[in-house]
Amino acid sequence: MSSSHAKVGASTDSSFLGGRIPSEIEIMAKHLKDLDQEMFRKILKAVVNAIEGKDCREAMKVIAANAAIPEERLTYVVAGMYRLLKEALRIPMSSLKQEVFKEDLRELRIPDEFITDFSSLVFGSRRTTLEAVATQLGPRLPSVEDLRWRVDVAISTSSLARALQPSILMQMKLSDGSAHRFEVSVSKFQELRYNVALILKEMNDLEKRSILKIQD
Amino acid sequence: MAAIIKETQSIKEAVTFINTIDLNKFSRLLSRILQKLHLKEERTFSEEEEQKLQIALSLDKQALSLVLETAAFILEQAVYHNVKPVSLQQQLESIHLSSEKAEAFCLVWKAAGPDVLEKVRQRIFAPRKLEHVGWELNLQMAQSRQAKLKDPHAVLELGVRNEDSERVENVFVEFSHQQLLDFYNKLEMVQAQLDSLT
Repeated sequence: MSSSHAKVGASTDSSFLGGRIPSEIEIMAKHLKDLDQEMFRKILKAVVNAIEGKDCREAMKVIAANAAIPEERLTYVVAGMYRLLKEALRIPMSSLKQEVFKEDLRELRIPDEFITDFSSLVFGSRRTTLEAVATQLGPRLPSVEDLRWRVDVAISTSSLARALQPSILMQMKLSDGSAHRFEVSVSKFQELRYNVALILKEMNDLEKRSILKIQD
Repeated sequence: MAAIIKETQSIKEAVTFINTIDLNKFSRLLSRILQKLHLKEERTFSEEEEQKLQIALSLDKQALSLVLETAAFILEQAVYHNVKPVSLQQQLESIHLSSEKAEAFCLVWKAAGPDVLEKVRQRIFAPRKLEHVGWELNLQMAQSRQAKLKDPHAVLELGVRNEDSERVENVFVEFSHQQLLDFYNKLEMVQAQLDSLT
């Protein structure tokens, strides 16, 4: 879907959107003609909030109520914007350059002012937030949100008058809301620590390897 | 040190029986009991084995029971108080165990005692205990919202055992590089605390 393999060609380059432009984007392009820029920006703002996972139903209701544009046109514009942004944000900035993006949008006959607005969103400062949200919303296993611990020393037990044995109590809160509390013996703790250090080392090695240096 | 075994009626009875047992057989018995001392749930001897022991030691079922329980009790007390082998021998002689049997206890305790002590010491009882640590390092290449990632991700599998159940519950936790680093730093803090204890 990226344009890298097609960069060699000239006027028949496929767009960053692929060989076949998604229909909702084409339809949106038609409906963007004569659209007031302020209205465009309001809609764009609501769509971006939706991409960030926020609830934008209120905002959309307001736009639909006030708008001088018919509801049908509004839905085409919203659908197209959403799809366009999603596709653009999906490709890392190292692969899709701003100029190429703008050129591709010009090919779709999207008005220039709107291209600038789209572009500043995809390549501007909001990009980092949008990428962070994409990671969070993507499929994943729970991650650690909070880790608490304490070290106890058992002075005496029913089996040993003088035990003096340390142990560790851990409480983990995960991102899916679950909480786990468990004890870890000193030897198990060493095993855990060793393994985590090992994974970190492997990660570092992995990040240095050539496969990660391939620019695409 | 204070007496670790009080000479009660049942101890007296047990001692009488123990003194009649063949020395070699008794030594082997003690070793076996000591070996399994730290496993609180398991029976030291199966039904079958106990029946064989009854014959081998010429003891009836009750007498054998008493002997096994008493020997185990003596060893448990030795663990609890962490007695020295010599002291153990003296105390056993003072409750009228024959000197050869007292010496048998002393030798078995000297040989395997420290090991058992360490095992018992390591036995922490907690409702949930971390038993197993597994992991997987993945390189995430893409997902539905992001193409062309090259994101190393680790998944830790923590096997936590509930005290009252046989099952081990597996908790899967995902980490990015940064998250794993943060986790490791926390573990280092714990380690610093452990180090300050010694």
